[in-house]
Amino acid sequence: MTLFDVVFSGNDAVYGLTEKAIDDAIAANGADKAVAFPDTAYSLPCYYAVTGTKVTNLGELKEALGVVKSLMTREKRLHDAFMSGIATALCAEFIEVLKYMDGAAPYAAPEAGHLPDAAIRELGVPLVTGDIPGVAVILGAAPTAEEGVELVKSYQGQGILVTLVGGIIDQCVEKGLKMGANVRVIPLGKDVTAVIHAVSVAVRAALIFGNIQPGDAAGLMKYTMERVPAFVNAFAPLNDVIVACGAGAIALGFPVITNEETFRVPKSLIVQKDVSKFNATSLEARDIKLKITKIDIPVAFASAFEGEIIRRGDMQVEFDGSRVDCFELVLSKDATEVEDHKIELIGPDIDEMPEGSKQSIAYIVEVAGKSMQSDFESVFERKFHSYLNCVEGMMHTGQRDMIRIRISKETYQAGFRLKHIGEVLYARVKSEFAAVVDKCQVKIITDPAQCTELRHSLAIPMFDKRDERLTTLTDEGVDVYYSCIMCQAFSPSHVCVVTPERLGLCGAVSWLDAKATNELDPQGPCQVITKERVIDERIGEYEDVNEAVKKFSQGALEDVSLYSLIEKPMTSCGCFECICGIEPLSNGVCIANREYAGMTPIGMTFSELASMTGGGVQTPGFMGHGKHFISSKKFMKAEGGVARIVWMPKDLKEQVADRLNATAKELYGIENFTDMIGDETIAEDPETLLEFLTEKGHPALGMEPMM
Amino acid sequence: MALKGLDIFKLTPKTNCKECGSPTCMAFAMKVAQGAVEISKCPHMSEEALATLSEATAPPMKTIKVGTGEAEYTLGGETVLYRHEKTFVSKTRYATAISCCDENMDAKLEELKKVDYDRIGERMHVEMLYLTYCGSCDAAGYAAFVKKVMDEAPDKTLVLDCTDVDAAKAALDVCKDKKPILDGADASNYEAMSKLATEAGVVLGVRGADIGELYDTVAAVEKLGNKNLVLNVGTASIKDAFATTVQIRRAALKDTNRTFGYPSIVNAAALAAGDSRMQAALASLFTVKYGSIVVMEGMSYAQALPLYGLRQNVFTDPQKPMKVEPGIYSINGGDENSVCLTTVDFALTYFVVSGELERSGVPCNLIISDAGGLSVLTAWAAGKLSSTSVSKYIQENVEDKVKCRKLIIPGKVAVLKGDIEAKLPGWEVIVAPNEAVQLVKFLKDMQANGEI
Amino acid sequence: MPFTGKSGKFNAAIRTVEIGTGDKAVKLGGENVMPFYTFDAPIENAPKIGVMITDMGLENEPAGVKEYYAGASSFAEIAKKAEEMPGADFVVLRFEGADPNGENRSVEECVAIAKEVGDAITAPLVIEGCKNVEKDAELFAKVAEALQGKNVLIMSAREENYKGVAAAAGLAYNQKVGAESAVDINLAKQLNVLIGQLGVDPANVVMNVGSAAAGYGFEYVVSTMDRVKAAALSQGDVQLQMPIITPVADEAWNVKEAMASEADMPEWGSQEERGIDMEIETAAAVLASGSNAVILKHPASVATISKLIKELV
Repeated sequence: MTLFDVVFSGNDAVYGLTEKAIDDAIAANGADKAVAFPDTAYSLPCYYAVTGTKVTNLGELKEALGVVKSLMTREKRLHDAFMSGIATALCAEFIEVLKYMDGAAPYAAPEAGHLPDAAIRELGVPLVTGDIPGVAVILGAAPTAEEGVELVKSYQGQGILVTLVGGIIDQCVEKGLKMGANVRVIPLGKDVTAVIHAVSVAVRAALIFGNIQPGDAAGLMKYTMERVPAFVNAFAPLNDVIVACGAGAIALGFPVITNEETFRVPKSLIVQKDVSKFNATSLEARDIKLKITKIDIPVAFASAFEGEIIRRGDMQVEFDGSRVDCFELVLSKDATEVEDHKIELIGPDIDEMPEGSKQSIAYIVEVAGKSMQSDFESVFERKFHSYLNCVEGMMHTGQRDMIRIRISKETYQAGFRLKHIGEVLYARVKSEFAAVVDKCQVKIITDPAQCTELRHSLAIPMFDKRDERLTTLTDEGVDVYYSCIMCQAFSPSHVCVVTPERLGLCGAVSWLDAKATNELDPQGPCQVITKERVIDERIGEYEDVNEAVKKFSQGALEDVSLYSLIEKPMTSCGCFECICGIEPLSNGVCIANREYAGMTPIGMTFSELASMTGGGVQTPGFMGHGKHFISSKKFMKAEGGVARIVWMPKDLKEQVADRLNATAKELYGIENFTDMIGDETIAEDPETLLEFLTEKGHPALGMEPMM
Repeated sequence: MALKGLDIFKLTPKTNCKECGSPTCMAFAMKVAQGAVEISKCPHMSEEALATLSEATAPPMKTIKVGTGEAEYTLGGETVLYRHEKTFVSKTRYATAISCCDENMDAKLEELKKVDYDRIGERMHVEMLYLTYCGSCDAAGYAAFVKKVMDEAPDKTLVLDCTDVDAAKAALDVCKDKKPILDGADASNYEAMSKLATEAGVVLGVRGADIGELYDTVAAVEKLGNKNLVLNVGTASIKDAFATTVQIRRAALKDTNRTFGYPSIVNAAALAAGDSRMQAALASLFTVKYGSIVVMEGMSYAQALPLYGLRQNVFTDPQKPMKVEPGIYSINGGDENSVCLTTVDFALTYFVVSGELERSGVPCNLIISDAGGLSVLTAWAAGKLSSTSVSKYIQENVEDKVKCRKLIIPGKVAVLKGDIEAKLPGWEVIVAPNEAVQLVKFLKDMQANGEI
Repeated sequence: MPFTGKSGKFNAAIRTVEIGTGDKAVKLGGENVMPFYTFDAPIENAPKIGVMITDMGLENEPAGVKEYYAGASSFAEIAKKAEEMPGADFVVLRFEGADPNGENRSVEECVAIAKEVGDAITAPLVIEGCKNVEKDAELFAKVAEALQGKNVLIMSAREENYKGVAAAAGLAYNQKVGAESAVDINLAKQLNVLIGQLGVDPANVVMNVGSAAAGYGFEYVVSTMDRVKAAALSQGDVQLQMPIITPVADEAWNVKEAMASEADMPEWGSQEERGIDMEIETAAAVLASGSNAVILKHPASVATISKLIKELV
């Protein structure tokens, strides 16, 4: 027997029962006899949603059964199995509605049977907001009542709505579990057909909350698949009817988890022999992420503590990366390698460390998620500083393997131990990065030997790899750039185009940051910009970039080049770290940084330059940019690149010297290029600057005229 | 399309002679492009270059100056229809209407002096008087009236609302040195009026029965060589006045129709005579939409407080936020023993925070130090709000005036707490909530717990 | 050559959103020109005025407001008077007292008041909360449920609680959703997109893009509205074509100019007049900037603004 045979046979069995039940009812009451579920405008909800036809009496019910029959095709294809599953569910609905004939109340407390529309509207809101993160449908009797009740409680504790069908109801009653809509445990009924009342909830949610038109079966299934986070836990033994019903659930996108050894369908029909793991398996199968609302630590966690300083005398223990081996690291892992919320301490805890001592620590946060990318690791890591500082009585400075952490005596006495570091990191990473992190575990290592070992074998190679990635990340090497419009509040028409080699002009948004921002907040300020239709390679102009800029500037800006200072230069909001501008006499550019208050050889100070460069207006010959951009190979590439730089303030020159010299060496073979660049100690006017440049043989003097 | 700085630079002599006052030709060209300097400041520009540039850099809307000395005001010169595009440069000016045979003239003149106050470093008062010729007095009577007003209110700029040529002449004889506006040219008298205005060296106001007649009359006056004009948008109806005001501004700026490239006068006093509330509404409407001078029957504090605040808001540079002066601002009767709070000098932040503090009812001192007019997080990110800036300001300006040693800092810069404490021995630094609106409860709780 | 103004009519238009039911239902939006630019094209629906009453009753209201409502003691009577106020198009019930940091009125009590008001009037009803996002989310869901069939506007769904508010008002109970953001076009758009992603029909969304009293950062209000209207009309941005409603009364009566007593500020004159003019001038400015509806409270302001709208449209 194949799974198809089982589904078809179960379907046929239910169909036969239904046909008989309807025929009997017609024989007894006539075809005009009204049938309906109480308190719903959608009767019969499932049939109505799938076909767009309402059923009001037995005659129509009989006709509807004909329609159901037409779904029951028997080719051994997935589609046929799904449709037979749906047909089974519809049959169940017909059987159930017959119970309600003549205004009967077939279900008595605690069983609810059919739920009224009002209940669905009420449950629908928390479902949409995620306050109810999932809906469990538990079918049959658990191996023991204890196991059954434990499972129900585990879902309840997560805020998941639990519906019960069959033997599990008696098991809950036996154990005295409180049930009812208010505690989010709803027993539906003991017959397997009662499962339709759970399906009916999902279906009506789609009609009410999803604006799905009745009869749009494809839209309905898409909605339930994407928006109704339901799943089925079916206890052994399974019969054909249950499997056929399960096929219906799977058709709606609801995976079935069972403890019976049966057919397996990846992500849809999952065998989990261990009932205690039903919860974890179900959540993972349905991709349900739980909201973390509380950080489980014995002291306060708030931004008010971010600036707290722990003095030597007040500290219980210190971890100091400058003296001993320490590091913090985020690693992305495969989902199978991460057990959510596992926090592991390897080595002694604070209790075992002498008061006031200096210790080693390493903490590795391992995350897994379908949308997780290794590029986000450093983005998360940079947040650790702020997370840990928000802990009352904890101070964190530095990053990577140069961290220093102090924990105060008071905090220690309040019960704070190292696992709480794990709790903080776990809770913050899971909630702040919920869009990409499905599972997270934390390893905290205080064993000095292991810290040393891991620092050199794991952490440093990882940091090196990331640095390498950053330096090799080029504009040509990626498929998309990102917009950044964080500054539009005060500079409405400005759009930054962030590329790997050109970070945002504020200096704070790199391409990786923008990418992560986009991933985490898809409607946010950083949007993907494609660059497929090149207009002019030399100045870096693309049709798609222009379209994006026009869109994000609300039409204020028509076109920009990525690499030119003269032709369609990028605009500035006003946050620029630096501004470069043409100095015509020396055929080059001067750069002024925000901190520099003096005069430049252009004849304007930084603030004068800023007043004409900001505000999202293109000013050919002038451009705002970040400090890092100065050493980029893309820095005014269209005009010849960094060789055009003739002047910058001394401080700035020193800051960028190493990288700028490397770039100049690579591009032009010039050694110590910064020695040729003027500064305020050499000249603040163009004439003196020109003398200096001539003396040094600055390359800009021999380049093509800029204008 | 305005010329870019580089295009202008190409036409300069490129000698860096500094005679224009700028250190380099490049700096000069950029300033011309911004409209900050006139191209004629360069003595070495070729005739040809000058001609090219004057045309191209000429603004779509004339900048008109009226009044003298302290009471000299600039009208018009706008380049954009919406303030986010650049900046509205010339504030709307408000005028009080007085007629030459106004029975309440003295009372009005007295009333006028009352509303005169300072708001974020700007004097707020009625800048102009709109002196209406009633038509039944003789020319000498009108002139005497103008003289009397000049004597009583010497710091006001005058607008003569007078279509009678003789009366206008007589009045101008009295007041032309104060550079008033002669708002009196219409289709029937424009030649004589324009001659009068030109001879007296004053700005001429032009009006018409409708927008078409206004346009034709302006064109005719321009033909006479007079381009020193303001446009009266008429008093037919509120709807008409609004339509005219918007359309002349839009025609000038969007369609570069220079005939309409002049400032406007809106006579709200006539549009809503006797209805001071409607006049307040109109003043607000025309402050947002393109009124250069708005005339009202009077100006009470009730009308003025929102109106001048609105004007101050609308006419700010979108890139240069308004700043309040650094200082210790006592709130709810805060004295030397009251708790101190600090935030940035960005005007909006100051207003929001001080408003919440007032609502809390807790006496306190709000300490504002120079943070470059930026909001809290921006100032912090830019290094303008730092533990050094705060502690230095407090040591130099606060410690000798305030005895209390509790300082509440914005929640968004909680990170500064430790550093400030380190730099300000003896002070206890307390972190406030993140949002100003939470201050009321925060302070009340502190008060209830006896912490302040 | 005579003057011919070029028309500033746009191909795109602001969406029309109807609130309330029956004869007194009002339509917001629908125009394809900038605010009051009737010379470009007729304005489909003149801007509307809502009269605000609160769950705190009349005790703290200025004399003119008290006088207008004289004799009305129950919420039903007050609401009835509010809808009869000359110039009023709809009634706004604000649950100031629901604030957990203030009166902390229970959701049940609020729902009872909402029902009382909803049953008393035939004009459309708009519900404002207490600005506490958690409490509002809870309150709005219950009020939306209680007022089913009345097509009320629930203000406001904000970034922090939009899911619950929009799902309850816009999906579960078929009411209109107010999307509130803080004077920033991108935030406004983002919220509209997010609410749309929940499945709420954009035709059921009205925006409150943030407001301020005149003088209190009002430039952000002007620029946000200018930009929203420009994006909606000239760029045809469908995510910004929702009509705008602006609560003016909350802001205007809560600034120093309206709150300082005559004893503290003798030269400023009548406190009530100051509040009225603050309300009028703020309302005129937000209407000039693009609001399709304003919320006011003083009968004198309502009369003046209603007259202004009639004159202009």
